[in-house]
Amino acid sequence: MKYQLVSGFETHVELATDTKIFCGCSTKFGASPNTHCCPVCTGQPGALPVLNKKVVEYAIRAGLATHCTINTITHLDRKNYCYPDLPKAYQISQFDKPLCEHGYVELESGKKIRLTRIHIEEDAGKLVHERGHTLIDYNRGGVPLIEIVSEPDISSPEEAREYVEKLQLIMRYIGVSDCKMQEGSMRCDVNISLCPEGSDVLGTRTEIKNMNSITFIERAMAYEAERQAEILDAGGKVEQATMRFDEATGETYVMRTKEDAQDYRYFPEPDLLTVHIPKERVEEIAASLPELPLEKLRRYTGELGISQHNARLLYKYKAVCDFFEACLALGAGAKNTANLILGTVYSTLATEEEKEAFDIKVSAGDMAALVKYVDGGKINVTLAQMTLAKMLKEGGALSQYITESDLAGVSEEQLISLCREAIANNPKAAEDYLAGKQKAIGGLFGYIKRATQGKADIRRAEEIIKGLLSQK
Amino acid sequence: MAQNNTEQKITREQFLSLARLARLSFSEEESEDFIRGFEEMISFCDGINSEIEGDASTIREVGSREIALDDLREDSVCPSLPNEKILSNVQGEHGYFSVKRVVK
Repeated sequence: MKYQLVSGFETHVELATDTKIFCGCSTKFGASPNTHCCPVCTGQPGALPVLNKKVVEYAIRAGLATHCTINTITHLDRKNYCYPDLPKAYQISQFDKPLCEHGYVELESGKKIRLTRIHIEEDAGKLVHERGHTLIDYNRGGVPLIEIVSEPDISSPEEAREYVEKLQLIMRYIGVSDCKMQEGSMRCDVNISLCPEGSDVLGTRTEIKNMNSITFIERAMAYEAERQAEILDAGGKVEQATMRFDEATGETYVMRTKEDAQDYRYFPEPDLLTVHIPKERVEEIAASLPELPLEKLRRYTGELGISQHNARLLYKYKAVCDFFEACLALGAGAKNTANLILGTVYSTLATEEEKEAFDIKVSAGDMAALVKYVDGGKINVTLAQMTLAKMLKEGGALSQYITESDLAGVSEEQLISLCREAIANNPKAAEDYLAGKQKAIGGLFGYIKRATQGKADIRRAEEIIKGLLSQK
Repeated sequence: MAQNNTEQKITREQFLSLARLARLSFSEEESEDFIRGFEEMISFCDGINSEIEGDASTIREVGSREIALDDLREDSVCPSLPNEKILSNVQGEHGYFSVKRVVK
């Protein structure tokens, strides 16, 4: 039988605050174990939590950026469970009054993945299992999280990828999280069920816990859908279960079944007051939101006329967009700026992290000036690329690289005479070209580029050379 | 101890389920004691409930007091405790808390 995949996501995102959600300990990643800990985040008797204002503000930002309504009265709840990653034996989370509800994330197709809710909670500690022991690091315990719960609107692993990527971008754009899946600051629980194609009766779902890579999410979903289809085709029933994905084998396995389902015995957190969020504060936060990723992508391809391919390479990185837009604000043309960033600048930034940081030696002012020379036909693209490459490597101001004589360019007469020289000095290349070897003409361009230090307009040189050779 | 089933406030199953969630085990005798204890607590709460049914002015529901967003704690880092201090009352290993392995 043919089945339709039905999937919903629970995504945990660590908020980029300086301190934990209920105490003043640092949230910095990578410190020695248990050095960002205090009586509150290690659950010492009598220690009381105090809610971090920024956590609430960031969660509201995340809610507004995903079109949620914000509950202006919200409180926290205790979720009870016994496991060594929780020193208090309960997690402070939100149950019946989440901060944000009823939002959506729009995919490029226009499809909206609805969000049920976004709530705030504390992260648990990190466990390291060693031979006979489990070692615990509570540095992560109490780091603020938002949990973003989607409706089961995702219908394929590809849609899942786009949903996670879009969420990641939104959170980065609004500055609430770096969403580094490899460092665990974004993690997904994936719910999957199958329903017969054309039917709207949902099947029994399984949940794959704690996925920290988009590629693994796609693989796990494909594997789990296949597994469930085999069970259903054989006349069996899918058992409701919590699963894990084994990255080495690419298979999912059962962690616990419905019989061992947790009973969290939620109740209102008596150590914290209900939070009242004035409407004006929500409006203030809404007004401070930047342009969101999908709007930006559509503006780049529409208003700015950048190709889909190039726009996509730019909008993935907030810092790149900021630099690009700063150049445009200084009068640089969009297409030439985009081409120089994607060609010359990106070739010096090998990794995703480097592109995200976009820490380069060229200022937006110099970049804009350089692009304007190209836009105005004062220098050609080749010289601009060469100059930019040098500036990226060595730093310094544009004026150190582009001189008055560069801006004067190469006159038509000079160019014709250079083309003659090129042919005279490279008789072999000229002969080969005439004999039908199209590529041989490249040797002649090389001569002109060297002679003019890249200043010459090579397209014009090509016309001249071809004209001269045809007279031979 | 509950006199009969209709008045019983907590069943043996409920008690065992709570014990399991709390990772605790009890002997038969201890279980009886605890069930009795729980029932006393519930009766006490029932007593409070019936007392306040008429006049609720002296009690306040959890969560009925509010704090405004701007009165919450600012996001500024305070010193944490030194690792030795954090681990001073527990079994530690290389700066970590150490417990019996929790996964198979």
